[in-house]
Amino acid sequence: MSAADTGLPKFAILQLSGCAGCEVSLLNASEWVEKFRLVYMPLVISTHHVPHEVEMLLVSGGVRNNEDVYNLKQAVKHVKKVIAVGTCAISGGVTNLGDRDEVREVFLSQSGRLHLPQMLSKTHPVDSFVDVDLYLPGCPPTPELFMAALQPDQGFKASGIVCGECGRRKLTDMRPKHLTGFQSGKAQPDICLINQGYLCVGTSTRGGCRAICTRAGHPCVGCRGPSNSFIEKESSVWLENIQRVFERMTDIPAGEVNEALRSPQLSMFLFQFSDYAGGTHHPRSKDKVL
Amino acid sequence: MTRLTFPLSRIEGHARVVIEVDAGNVLASQFQAVELRGFRHFVQGTPAEQMPVIVPRICGVCSTAHHVASVKALEHLYGVTPPRLACDIREVLLLGQLIQNQATSLFIFTMPDRANVESVFHMDESEASKKQQLSIAQRALKVRKTGTDLISLAGGQFIHPVKAHIGGVSGGITREAADPMIMELEAMLPVACQLFDDYWAMSMAMVERIGSWGDDEPTYYLASTQANKPRFNSRELRVMGPDGEERASFAPSEFDTYLEFHETEYSYAGSTTYQGQIMRANSLARINLTENLGTPRADKYLKRFTSSFGKPAHPIMLFDLCRGIELVYAMERCMEMLSEDLNYMDPKVGYIPRDGIGYGLVEAPRGPLIHRYVVENGLIADAQFIIPTVHNMRAIERALNVAGKRYISPTAINTELENAVGRVVRAFDPCIACATQ
Repeated sequence: MSAADTGLPKFAILQLSGCAGCEVSLLNASEWVEKFRLVYMPLVISTHHVPHEVEMLLVSGGVRNNEDVYNLKQAVKHVKKVIAVGTCAISGGVTNLGDRDEVREVFLSQSGRLHLPQMLSKTHPVDSFVDVDLYLPGCPPTPELFMAALQPDQGFKASGIVCGECGRRKLTDMRPKHLTGFQSGKAQPDICLINQGYLCVGTSTRGGCRAICTRAGHPCVGCRGPSNSFIEKESSVWLENIQRVFERMTDIPAGEVNEALRSPQLSMFLFQFSDYAGGTHHPRSKDKVL
Repeated sequence: MTRLTFPLSRIEGHARVVIEVDAGNVLASQFQAVELRGFRHFVQGTPAEQMPVIVPRICGVCSTAHHVASVKALEHLYGVTPPRLACDIREVLLLGQLIQNQATSLFIFTMPDRANVESVFHMDESEASKKQQLSIAQRALKVRKTGTDLISLAGGQFIHPVKAHIGGVSGGITREAADPMIMELEAMLPVACQLFDDYWAMSMAMVERIGSWGDDEPTYYLASTQANKPRFNSRELRVMGPDGEERASFAPSEFDTYLEFHETEYSYAGSTTYQGQIMRANSLARINLTENLGTPRADKYLKRFTSSFGKPAHPIMLFDLCRGIELVYAMERCMEMLSEDLNYMDPKVGYIPRDGIGYGLVEAPRGPLIHRYVVENGLIADAQFIIPTVHNMRAIERALNVAGKRYISPTAINTELENAVGRVVRAFDPCIACATQ
């Protein structure tokens, strides 16, 4: 191998239980290929252990079974910096929709199977087991955000909230009376989706994604997590803020907004920070979130 | 009895192969999918109309297929027919995913086997070559990025698309958006073809070394694209016998009349059979079931393929070559489609939600994907995901048996076995995140 030791900074990617969307996003950026040496990422490299002297370990996916626990604890041993990437690594992600008794039973009933990893009763975030130096939220984070995480000194700039990157205009004289379902209506261009009755949470979701969903006419579901103003607080504070925005901009009954915020497609993202820091942990510090 | 365990890499998701050997005889090969997130269980109780946002998270590689299959299942359930324009835009979306997937499988997952390196990022290339045309890894990433750029264009978000709505898609594709995408495809098509030509030559050299494109027996084949000018936004499934005769065609709602599902104790993924028979889905199945692709460069490759390997073709490493043919097809076809007007009307019709059972079918890169939803009181009462990788499970295990017998003797295990296991599994490009959900 010609490039065995190139002197480039080394990084590694550990994929726990997840969808590989984060990995696919990283592969969408090709800028890192000449700047870093990727030493471990089973999706694309046939190496079965994280080597020593790795600058950065990116962990994607949640901790779903005992093999995930083992692989995670082994992987962090000799790395300088651990980065939790994506909603699943930060909170458990979409599988938290199964964090209820009847679904837990299903997983625990699998535990007698021979030769297979043992299921935990729920999916845990990475920092339930190891210390994390940086959180990179997003489902998945965009390639630009991956590059920003890999190169912290390159001066990545983002708006505090998705609204700042969206470009749609907020109107004062367009006050919907009810929510427009995500599947209904046709989003008009250039006008704020809240004015059009969509349950968009971009007003308090952290920026950096360049508002790709809202620009395409789909309301923000909050996959980047809350902005710095809310990130160290309970999710209820974030949800109250979203409700206040809807009170100010619309005539939609509060109960309607409240119920919709707790529906699965939003709740899988809206509870991802402080609520999943775990019982004894302090909330994750905003200084550690990109 | 000895159990030989092979961890797997350069595939999507977590799996391993176990080959059971007794006194040099291969007893059985197991393909063990070792992850489980439980989508079928935790989506129960979800408002049905939220499924198109939730199910792409089954898999970040196949998210587009799940997104469209989900919308189609709900359209079937609500009795709504999307406009033609929406179907075309969904086709672009699915072709974008095909480009992304086939480029990844070819150049990132399987090219290292041909070059005898552990990763495309560690290829042995001269500095002069890299200076002239970028490294193979960078070119491969750029080709696959045209796929994700198409997904962004037609689907809104680049990994977990949002634009397919029940009743259509949320917007057309404007000329201003289509033209730069056509230019990107025009620039990347020759790069893709050159990489594929190199890949084909490297494959021939590898086969010379190991002596076979795969010596497993023929099987049945399953695909949902039609015989001429394939459409991945598909309507019905077709089965071909090992002799090349078409045996059945059926609607997605009839799948359990034709296909049997089997639980597997040693794996979180099960397996399926067609009337008790082993079958194969994915690229080779589609190419066997296709007469022509309808785009010039892809049809040229198809002709070369058919004259070299016959029709139907059976050796499993031909799956990989078929992926290259499809990569070229998808790039050409997207250029054609984007040249047409994809913004001539509102690509969406209204619908009235109701309870019932709905089926949604698409041809995913790995084969036909079906979502089946039972909706009661507007909520998901049951969801079934019928996954292409699961259709291939028995074919994978039988091919592993063949490889095992080739390299294991009573006196020794040839060290080539580990490479062979990797080649066999990657030929099927299994997706474990999907297979287990």
